[in-house]
Amino acid sequence: MKLSQTSGIPIYQQIADAFRNDILSGKVKQGEYLPSIRGLAKELKISVITTMKAYELLQEEGLVTAMQGKGFQVNPQDSEMLKEQHMRHIEDGLTDAIKAAKRAGISQKELREIFEALLAVQE
Amino acid sequence: MEQMQTAIQVNHLMKKYKGFTLEVEDLHIPKGFSTALIGENGAGKTTLLNVLAGIRLDYKGEITFFDQWSDKEREKTGNPVKEMIGYTGPNNYYLPQWTVKQVEEVSKLLFEKFDGAKFEKYVEMLQIASTDSKGKNKKISSLSDGNRMKLMLSGVLARDTELLLLDEPASPLDPLMRDVLCDLIREYIEAGQGEKSVFFSTHNIADMENVTDYAIIMERGRVVEQGFVEDLKEKYILVKGEASDIPTAEKILYSITKNSYGYEGICLAEDMNKLAGLDIEVSTPSLSQISVAVMKKGTRIHLQ
Repeated sequence: MKLSQTSGIPIYQQIADAFRNDILSGKVKQGEYLPSIRGLAKELKISVITTMKAYELLQEEGLVTAMQGKGFQVNPQDSEMLKEQHMRHIEDGLTDAIKAAKRAGISQKELREIFEALLAVQE
Repeated sequence: MEQMQTAIQVNHLMKKYKGFTLEVEDLHIPKGFSTALIGENGAGKTTLLNVLAGIRLDYKGEITFFDQWSDKEREKTGNPVKEMIGYTGPNNYYLPQWTVKQVEEVSKLLFEKFDGAKFEKYVEMLQIASTDSKGKNKKISSLSDGNRMKLMLSGVLARDTELLLLDEPASPLDPLMRDVLCDLIREYIEAGQGEKSVFFSTHNIADMENVTDYAIIMERGRVVEQGFVEDLKEKYILVKGEASDIPTAEKILYSITKNSYGYEGICLAEDMNKLAGLDIEVSTPSLSQISVAVMKKGTRIHLQ
């Protein structure tokens, strides 16, 4: 793993990118564990909190799961479970948007319009 | 993050001197991490460390060790806290006429869990003295400041502890040894698998950034900021901009460095909207940059 202190990309991001590549390319297989948080920090000569943040990011993306006392395990890819995790992520995001709209007094119709407009922009 | 376990928790600590008051409302040293105590000379770092290490007992307030024992309980015979903590001071605490061998013998008497073989391993590895009789008979008074610091570190690392309290450990060390110190701290944290913690003070955080998980910034006897480094790096933002915008930026930035071409400074991420309309470039600040900005600002702001 090549880490750069001067690239402008946060270190945790660089670590997450490296492991994401390894997982998606199948170099690290499902069921395997990522190196321990503190072991990796020692290895890479960086702080524990930085590796922790990298692993938390991968967990949010549904690529790994924190197993109590055992570390971070790689999830099965392209499976029902991965999709479910993505769905949960999407639902969380949309729920936040709905709450924000309520606070701002924006109607459901307007909210749908915003959503459609954003979808159109993305495409 | 789940409920944080702490190595040390401090509540309403107060220690008054003539012309200086240490006043710490609330401070946590998280368990399983390395925590840096950052501040200028005279900010109260050593006073705080002395209180935590049990060197000073004349203070008001409560301290809880390992979520379990109070500072009062620690002073009772048979309490395990003293065995669980390793402390190194800013200055050598071994008697000058002692030899390296005597340091080992005294440490064995003082601490149940002192491992002589481990001590000798560190003495050799850190190149303090050779392990032959000539090296073992080397007097403390003949050692350099750096070697005295390394000897104290060997003394605490040779014990089976749960927490290291290190007062300015990097100061007397050369750049190469500072790097070794960082490695030793990471090794200690890794070996603990989330159970062992380190708390060290420094007035030069740049050398220790890559071994700092949690930062506590002190100024004039008070804690002005504390938090996990990655959270602090999201709380603050580094801003660079054009010279013409300096008058506006100055009002919002914590600290600002100006020259005729432009400026650079730190502001709260939540204040970013106040800079709207200015031509700026933003990036993530380093812990040293955050520390300097917070110390310059000198007001009390808490991480949410």
